[in-house]
Amino acid sequence: MKGTSAAPLEIGGWFEQWAERRLRYLMLAPAVLILLALTIFPSLYMFYAAVHRISPNPDLPWQFVGAANFTRLLSDGQFQVALRNTAIFTVVAVSVEFLFGLGLALLLDKYIRRLTFLKTVLMVPMMLPPIAVAITWKLIYEPQFGVLNEIMFRLGLPTQAWAGDVDLAMFSIIVADVWQWTPFIFLLMLAGLASLPIEPYEAAELDGASSWRQFWDLTIPFLKPVIAIALLLRVMDALRLFDLVFILTGGGPADRTKVLSLYIYQVAYRFADPGYAAAISLFVLLVTIVLSTWFMKRMRLVE
Amino acid sequence: MRFKKRSRSRETLLRLAAYGTILVALILTLFPVYWIAANSFKFDIDIFAVPPEWVPRNPTLKHYEQAFIERPFLRYALNSFLVAVGTTAIAVIFGTMAGYALARFTYPWQWRKHVSFWILSTRMMPPIVSIIPLYLFFNYFDMLNTKAALIIAYTAFNLPFATWMMKSYFQDLPVELEEAAIVDGDTRWGAFLHVALPLARPGLAATAIFCLIISWNEFLLALVITLTEQSQTLPIGIAGRVTQYTTYWGEISAAGFMACVPIVIFAFIVQKHLVRGLSLGAVKG
Repeated sequence: MKGTSAAPLEIGGWFEQWAERRLRYLMLAPAVLILLALTIFPSLYMFYAAVHRISPNPDLPWQFVGAANFTRLLSDGQFQVALRNTAIFTVVAVSVEFLFGLGLALLLDKYIRRLTFLKTVLMVPMMLPPIAVAITWKLIYEPQFGVLNEIMFRLGLPTQAWAGDVDLAMFSIIVADVWQWTPFIFLLMLAGLASLPIEPYEAAELDGASSWRQFWDLTIPFLKPVIAIALLLRVMDALRLFDLVFILTGGGPADRTKVLSLYIYQVAYRFADPGYAAAISLFVLLVTIVLSTWFMKRMRLVE
Repeated sequence: MRFKKRSRSRETLLRLAAYGTILVALILTLFPVYWIAANSFKFDIDIFAVPPEWVPRNPTLKHYEQAFIERPFLRYALNSFLVAVGTTAIAVIFGTMAGYALARFTYPWQWRKHVSFWILSTRMMPPIVSIIPLYLFFNYFDMLNTKAALIIAYTAFNLPFATWMMKSYFQDLPVELEEAAIVDGDTRWGAFLHVALPLARPGLAATAIFCLIISWNEFLLALVITLTEQSQTLPIGIAGRVTQYTTYWGEISAAGFMACVPIVIFAFIVQKHLVRGLSLGAVKG
């Protein structure tokens, strides 16, 4: 895996020779420079914006306000609601997706491994545009003529407003998200199960270990790296939830589905306060960095 | 677990349970997709029918005509396509070079590890975090509402993705072939171009398709950066027909279904690479 550094240098002019010697840097440089420009610069700019009051009128100068935007965070009830909703959504949706995905994978591991076509069909939801998924579920949840209420009616259950109901709105968002993302966990777990070594299971079998013991002592430890990457990617995605909420509920009713992304969007554009929105964004960025770094280091995902 | 001797009847039961589960999963997966397709072919009055019309009785293309001929959805689709292709080209070209470098070369001071880690962490950055600075930045340079601005914004997440994917594919290629080419007088760059790159072609195609899908689906950044049909993408066009007062069900069903079609085709093209693509190259499936 380690590179071969020396290369014959007798061909080409001085430029080619120089380029060849510096190849390892030259090949990496464009990507690094582009990403630096696209991530470091916005982050710094956001710090700058976060300590200013920015008027919607572009002709007015930015007004320096120091830490005011950050202290405002502490007393902002809406922000706390958004933070809580994001946490609820992330924990519940990712847990349900994980349990369903792992359960399905364990059950089907034996039977579905070679059925690539079937697997791909099951994978379709997560590839679809989230906006298309959102309008599909909006159609299903529609209180008057939606399919879900028709099913409730036929089962003799009370019909509901679903995404429009104070108590069911978050549940409705979670169901749509689970529909789209359970296949992701399922696919990764299936790949993990397919790569399990056979010998430890044969040995455990000889020792008379029960299936349950084998699951906890062999399957779970072997799957740990795959579980780690699956959960990391799902949590990072859940924290940025926006599209489903934007279409299905708009954050309502009664702010029950107002998540951080939506709140930042509203502060920046509806309330026209980009400075404060930048302060909230910095908070989200900090949470993301801390969570993902801790996760990646802990699970040794990088070397 | 897999080698447990089970009684025959228990084995049969398990098999039945598995097939039953697959069937239920298939129905749950496909019904919503079927439903949006079915509704896109119904007249408005049939969309609102109670009880719902499970199969369109009077199929019509009216909503497709409305969306793609009377309203600018064809334009939105074209914008989506151009933006997706632009950002994918940038991401794949520079991501492949960087991925190769990170897979093959050694650097002083553990740079390889640090740079890899940093690139991965940029992929984790939530888009909502960058919309404020990007908006102010594009506003300052008078680039709001342009496709170029979208291409730049999307490169921020496509480039790290392409780098990690290609790094993972190159790490799986035997280094000996490139070494042989260098012994035969090729340069290091030549070995990359003539030996490694052709071998990585399936990975290259898969990476490009994933970048296309991610860009085609993106909503939040496009919502902030675009203003008119000159640069608005398909998801924005669809969301624009869900208003506070009314939802144009037929039109958004038609446009939504059309937005899904290329994605489904792509999914089948990259089916062998799905696992690796979705896990940023971390899990080899």
